[in-house]
Amino acid sequence: MTKLLAMLAAAVVAFPASAQVKIGVINSMTGPEAPIGENLTNGIKLAQEDLEKKGVKVQLVWEDDTGKPQISMSAMEKLATRDGVIGVVGPYTSACSNAVAKLAERYKVPLLVPAAAKEEITRQGYKHVFRMNAPADQYAQVLLDAVTALGKPKTIAFLYENTDFGTSTSKAAKDYAAKKGIQVVADEPYSKGSPDYRSTLTKVKSTNPDLVFMVSYVADAILLMRQAREIGLKPQAFLGGGAGFTTVQFSAEKDISGFVFSATQWTDDVPWPGAKDFATRYKAKFGKEPTYHAACAYESLRVMAEAAAKAGGDREKLRAGLVDGKWSGVMGDVDFKDYAGFTNQNDHTMLVQQVLDGKYETVYPQQFATKKPSFPFPGWK
Amino acid sequence: MTVFLQSLISGLLVGGVYALIGIGLTIIFGVMRVINFAHGELVMVGMYITFFAFSLFGIDPFVGIVIVIPLMFLFGAFLQKTFINRVLNALPQNQILLTIGLGLVMSNTVMLLFTSDYRILSTSYSSGSVNLGGISISEPLTISFLITAAITGALYWFLIKTDTGQAIRATAQDRDAAQLMGVNVRRMSVIATGIGAALAGTAGALISPTYYIFPQVGSAFTLKAFVIVVLGGMGSVVGATIGGLIIGVSESLSAAYVSSGLKELFVYVLFLLVLVFKPAGLLGKSRM
Amino acid sequence: MRTPLPLPPKPRGVAAMPLVLGGAVLAVLAVLPLFEKSPYTHHIFILLFLAIIMGEAWNVLGGYTGQYSVGHAAYFGVGAYVTMILLDKHQVAPWLGLWPAIVLSLVVALVIGAITFRLRGPYFVLASIAVAEIFRLIALNWKDLTNGAEGILLVSLPPLVVGGKTLLDVSAMPAEQAKIPFYYAGLGLAVVVIAVNWAVQHSKLGYYFQAIREDQDAAHSLGINLSFWKNLALLISAAFTAWAGSFYALYTGFIDPNNTLTTDVSVQMVLICIIGGIGTILGPVVGALVVVPLSEGLRANFGQVHALVYGILVVLVILFMPDGILGFVKKLATRRPAPAAPTAPPGTEVKA
Repeated sequence: MTKLLAMLAAAVVAFPASAQVKIGVINSMTGPEAPIGENLTNGIKLAQEDLEKKGVKVQLVWEDDTGKPQISMSAMEKLATRDGVIGVVGPYTSACSNAVAKLAERYKVPLLVPAAAKEEITRQGYKHVFRMNAPADQYAQVLLDAVTALGKPKTIAFLYENTDFGTSTSKAAKDYAAKKGIQVVADEPYSKGSPDYRSTLTKVKSTNPDLVFMVSYVADAILLMRQAREIGLKPQAFLGGGAGFTTVQFSAEKDISGFVFSATQWTDDVPWPGAKDFATRYKAKFGKEPTYHAACAYESLRVMAEAAAKAGGDREKLRAGLVDGKWSGVMGDVDFKDYAGFTNQNDHTMLVQQVLDGKYETVYPQQFATKKPSFPFPGWK
Repeated sequence: MTVFLQSLISGLLVGGVYALIGIGLTIIFGVMRVINFAHGELVMVGMYITFFAFSLFGIDPFVGIVIVIPLMFLFGAFLQKTFINRVLNALPQNQILLTIGLGLVMSNTVMLLFTSDYRILSTSYSSGSVNLGGISISEPLTISFLITAAITGALYWFLIKTDTGQAIRATAQDRDAAQLMGVNVRRMSVIATGIGAALAGTAGALISPTYYIFPQVGSAFTLKAFVIVVLGGMGSVVGATIGGLIIGVSESLSAAYVSSGLKELFVYVLFLLVLVFKPAGLLGKSRM
Repeated sequence: MRTPLPLPPKPRGVAAMPLVLGGAVLAVLAVLPLFEKSPYTHHIFILLFLAIIMGEAWNVLGGYTGQYSVGHAAYFGVGAYVTMILLDKHQVAPWLGLWPAIVLSLVVALVIGAITFRLRGPYFVLASIAVAEIFRLIALNWKDLTNGAEGILLVSLPPLVVGGKTLLDVSAMPAEQAKIPFYYAGLGLAVVVIAVNWAVQHSKLGYYFQAIREDQDAAHSLGINLSFWKNLALLISAAFTAWAGSFYALYTGFIDPNNTLTTDVSVQMVLICIIGGIGTILGPVVGALVVVPLSEGLRANFGQVHALVYGILVVLVILFMPDGILGFVKKLATRRPAPAAPTAPPGTEVKA
């Protein structure tokens, strides 16, 4: 009898409990945001692989929100009530994330938003909503801090898509510009899908701004810069508020991408553990360079899965685990805190990169910089 | 002053392309009295053909027109023979819904085949421009304007001087009378749709160096095309030409002086005004 | 001599059967939430009810009166936005905020009618689209009022308080039950709109509407005041569309110009009617029964295919079933039986 018990005991101890966690993912896999959504998908897939190697088996339930908030909400409902996931990673866009946050709180499902900028998402006191990336106010802050360290710009013009993302990011930027004593001389929201910006750019040019701050996704970013070049818009610096201005597609347009500053959550130059390796492996597996969205998503799934493995299927335990936990990985130190009106917000340091010789170089803050920034804008060739 | 002139010039150049789209639509309406709600999608198909010709075979968009025109002509003819012909005598509402359905099928098929990624055509002259006294004139838009003018001229010559062209105009003027005079009106409908589609596709090809390409890009063009056609007078090629230029300029000016977000608003308000006060448009109906 | 062709079946009296069937269906739907507890199923039914309401509302103007508005999103959006703005910015309870929404939609309808009803056929369609687009652009750009592209997000539905007593507090309900009040509201509204359609069809109102649909000029020459009746149809249609918009806003808790004011919304309403059978009472119901499960089912399994399927459906329906599914079924059901085989002509001898 004792021998049998001993064998059983040995068996239990010998097989390490391979934790199985079921996590939902809401992402823009089709629709106009799909190109960037793809980065999130790939980052998550890579994380799933890495987690498996560490003994954490993650079962993912994928939901495509096509970039529309009401579909995102439907997806969240399904994940929370029908699929019985322990937590959700996503969505991608600000609009979708904000809408889903409310549902996450209602259904008491921990939600980890990887890359959405809109500040409100973690400003509503929701206990179940966590955010990995730095919010919109940081985009503005880090860009304006970088530029004011290089010169003394006095005026700024805003050009942004009139979506949730564009409006909230530029609003944060306008507030910060005012604090820095920079005067707003132009405020031009534009509708996507109508890409003749020449008149608007001419109008902006006539106000002679020192800085031009743009918030756009890839296609508009390229067209805006092309047409800016056409009409000869020449500020001291072009500032890109994330998204479109951080992709390889943009930097590849050598005629127009040079010297543009952009705010980013991550670059492959950062000294954070595993960052460079992540970039290399991502490129090897998916054939493209990762954007910051991939890194955010990767780390988000990793954090959630590891916390979930310890929570044993209990959503409240997962929530507590996320609140108390501290991690260190490709996104640097991750710690969800309550501060400055934010709840469960990771106080993430943003970076500024600049396109120099067709490549993104990290230029600010100084401790991460790989090259000195080039300022002011030398003009069009 | 610079802002005004710049807006004016950009508006005219873009307006030329709009005009081409409008002319295609007005021919289709003139001959068949069918309102083609899938016209914007035809522009979109032209854009995609151009994009793939460029990225797969390195064919320059402006040169690619040589491929786009016959392909789109055949496509338009196909649409007419297979679908539109069956509803020529149906209620106008049904005709409209049919073309809306066709548009949906076209844009979503393209989306399934090629994803909804925004595509950008980057040619060497995509951001090229000529600077004339402080006004920047876009190279690609200027080239497309010139090509548009050439095509419009050729179309006009075709309609006025050739037998087929005159037969088309006869069909547009009075279908029954034309038939009694021995015109094969069925054939004219097919040809007209083919021409309309070819023009739409060409417009797509012409602006592809300066636009971005995605499956739903058509819808913005469809409504604008209608405004142009109504403004110019349904069925009038000259009217559509003028209408296109007017719309291009008013869009541009309102973007500069009011707000980029509201520029379409002005176009639609203009549209309603025309519909209410002068529904026949600037140049009246059924005259090409 | 040939035997006379058999007469078509005699039309029955008052359609008792449909009423009984309808009552049975209603009874089943009324008690469904007691048996089916899954919030997802409730959700599907609510979407179904919403589609029925929107289809039936459009049917009054488009189906009976023949005025094809492809810009009904304007009324939908007005309903949604007014209710949400009153709730979000002025804390007006939705049950109260609903009424200004409907009233405003009536005002908007009168204005739109005044501009567009003088137009015929395709011009009317185009004008209706342009008007809806104008509304969408206004909503997108008037940020102070509508929050522009960011939309309005409802944090929680305030409790229904009557005379100091809280009758219903959705935000306090557990998530599994929170949809049930919407289920019943949706069911109720759907029944009301169907009843309205029935009343329209069986009343003088319906005759005037249909006369206008068949031939406006003939109707006019018979003394029918076109403007009055068209506007009346529009008012009824707009009011219920706005109500649907309001309902949608409160249910999903999030509206932006993109999900309430686009041409897609307008086309959806038309589609539901066309697929089911335009100008009939139950056509929109059939249409909704096709469109909603298709949309949800396809989205869950195939992502973006559903819009393509819509398009194909429309094309097929217009080409082969212009009276919709109901019309097609009716045609099959009342088809005359084939004529009897002719007897041998006299003079022919049957050789043994």
